[in-house]
Amino acid sequence: MLQAFIDGLFVVFQWQTFLMMLLGVFIGFWVGLLPGLGGTTTLALMLPFIYKMTPAEAFAFLLGMHSVVSTTGDITSVLFGIPGEGTTAATILDGHAMAKKGEAGRALGAALMSSLIGALIGAFALALAIPVVRPLVLSFGAPELFMLAIVGIAFISSLSGQGGRALLRGILAGLVGLMFALVGQDPQAGILRFTFGQLYLWNGLDLVPVLVGLFAIPEIIDLAVRGTSIAGELPHENLGRGVWVGVRDTFVHFWLTVRCSLAGTFIGIMPGLGGGVAQWIAYGHAVQSARSREERAGFGKGDVRGVLGPGAANNSKEGGSLIPTIAFGVPGSSSMAILLGAFFLLGIMPGPDMLDKHLVLTYSMVWTMVVANIITVAVSLFFLNYLAKLTLIRGTVLIPFILFFAFIGAYTSNNHLGDLLVFLAFGFLGYVMIRCGWPRAPLVLGFVLGRIAENNFYISTIRYGPAWTLRPLVLILIVLTVIVVCFPFVRFKGKPLMGESLS
Amino acid sequence: MRRLLSLGSALSLATAGVGGYALYASWSWPFRTALFPRVIALPLLFLALIELALSVWSAEGAREGRAVDFQFTDTVEPVLARKRTIAISLWTLGFLALIVLVGFPLAVPIFVFVYLRIAGREPWALTIVLTVVAWLIMEGLFDRFLHLPFPEGWIFALWT
Repeated sequence: MLQAFIDGLFVVFQWQTFLMMLLGVFIGFWVGLLPGLGGTTTLALMLPFIYKMTPAEAFAFLLGMHSVVSTTGDITSVLFGIPGEGTTAATILDGHAMAKKGEAGRALGAALMSSLIGALIGAFALALAIPVVRPLVLSFGAPELFMLAIVGIAFISSLSGQGGRALLRGILAGLVGLMFALVGQDPQAGILRFTFGQLYLWNGLDLVPVLVGLFAIPEIIDLAVRGTSIAGELPHENLGRGVWVGVRDTFVHFWLTVRCSLAGTFIGIMPGLGGGVAQWIAYGHAVQSARSREERAGFGKGDVRGVLGPGAANNSKEGGSLIPTIAFGVPGSSSMAILLGAFFLLGIMPGPDMLDKHLVLTYSMVWTMVVANIITVAVSLFFLNYLAKLTLIRGTVLIPFILFFAFIGAYTSNNHLGDLLVFLAFGFLGYVMIRCGWPRAPLVLGFVLGRIAENNFYISTIRYGPAWTLRPLVLILIVLTVIVVCFPFVRFKGKPLMGESLS
Repeated sequence: MRRLLSLGSALSLATAGVGGYALYASWSWPFRTALFPRVIALPLLFLALIELALSVWSAEGAREGRAVDFQFTDTVEPVLARKRTIAISLWTLGFLALIVLVGFPLAVPIFVFVYLRIAGREPWALTIVLTVVAWLIMEGLFDRFLHLPFPEGWIFALWT
């Protein structure tokens, strides 16, 4: 096995394979930066080009591209408050807030370094887990996957603010997100729900216009209201110099980065959950790491830990989601489903053969993810200082371009004008939620998990009846949900609420 | 009365409305279609009504209910902030109207040009350069290179 591991590295450095990987990295770099282009769509667009490649070249090309998309997507999220990728929305909350405080360089440094560590941990988890992951995946049936979704929503809701009122709003936002996920054809019987006679809504609401609207519109309004650049009128001397501070932050909070990477890997392994979920769970965990109410109140306003968590998780989940794809032919996400298509195009069957006959190829995939991310981060670090200075451009110059990319980003999800209406409607909702102190993160997680939760809830009820609630793992997850909801109250019991200590 | 008419109350009421409508709509669906929406809608309605009651009858402490999320700038005078919010909202809606009327490829350079000149009061040279850049990205990258299918504007559709 060790020999195969080393051989995998040599395969990546064969010049044709390496060149293909570089080409993939180059494409992935720009796909991640531009909000209008999604990693999954681009992966699908690139499939026809792999016909004449060897398997090693093809996977170096596809994985080289796919594994850096989240890394560079963080750059757009931090600088402009638009999610460069659906998987990088959580980075906006604190990353863009840091950019507005004149700390864009630091936020970018932290995002890139945590992304690199996340990618490395995800890749090595893939290398180590392939032989042992089977029992873990098989122990999670529909009831457990449903409860896992509930734990996720409870987790992010309980960490979305201070006190019982914030918890109430967090849970409400999560339930609203679940409700929005139900729009469209019912997956069991094909009956239309909440479509109001609109053909566009038959397939449900797409994640991209929802995310872009929720996050970009409030940021654009705020930028217009301030009438300044993103970094405002703060002193700009440190703007581009903070990159190495951000890199250092990653090592100061190294264990948080590692824990979030492991959480991302675990979520990646679970079929059906994906990067959209991993980033928010990691963000929730980063918030949970706050030691006091004052520290927690700093999240959403530019705490570097709010960048490190999602940055690490949205990259580590790539390694995780490759595990069930390679080992069992069960794709962990939509992009992995496309990658599965690449396996078949190349005449390779995922499954036991990947751990035996094609073990070197499997390890070459691991190395591709490692090398591609190292190259991307190294190249990016050279000009992050210049990128950070984009936050000095006047708001009046930036706004038409941000609106342009936001509209295009929303439109490209279905190439339908309805996407633009959804984008604006969710933009309005995002604005109102912020005005009223409702957190947006639980809504997004509820929306992402809605379909998965419904399918698994339905299967659990039909297959096991009420008895599914008594399965051992389900009971553990129910207890975990209760702990997750009560933990913030217990942890901060007796400690003053934010503001009390100051007054 | 002021609390009853607040934005917070309106949001709670709308949320309760979503829950109530989901329960009403699910009445006519078969059990398996209605099961999950009902499981979600019931607590949604109940909790939204609690939030509504709290918004109306209980004063919210300055410390309570703060979301871990970004906060709008509060350093700009409220009247000016409201004016700018309405202005940017109208620009955004105007951009949408332009896209629908003339299609993406034309709407983008027109919007960038008009916004930079009127809202931004940017100099002519910068306005023209940035408009060309926007047109190049739109036409070169999204239209010619990526072949994204942009629908024709309604105005042009009248002639075809």
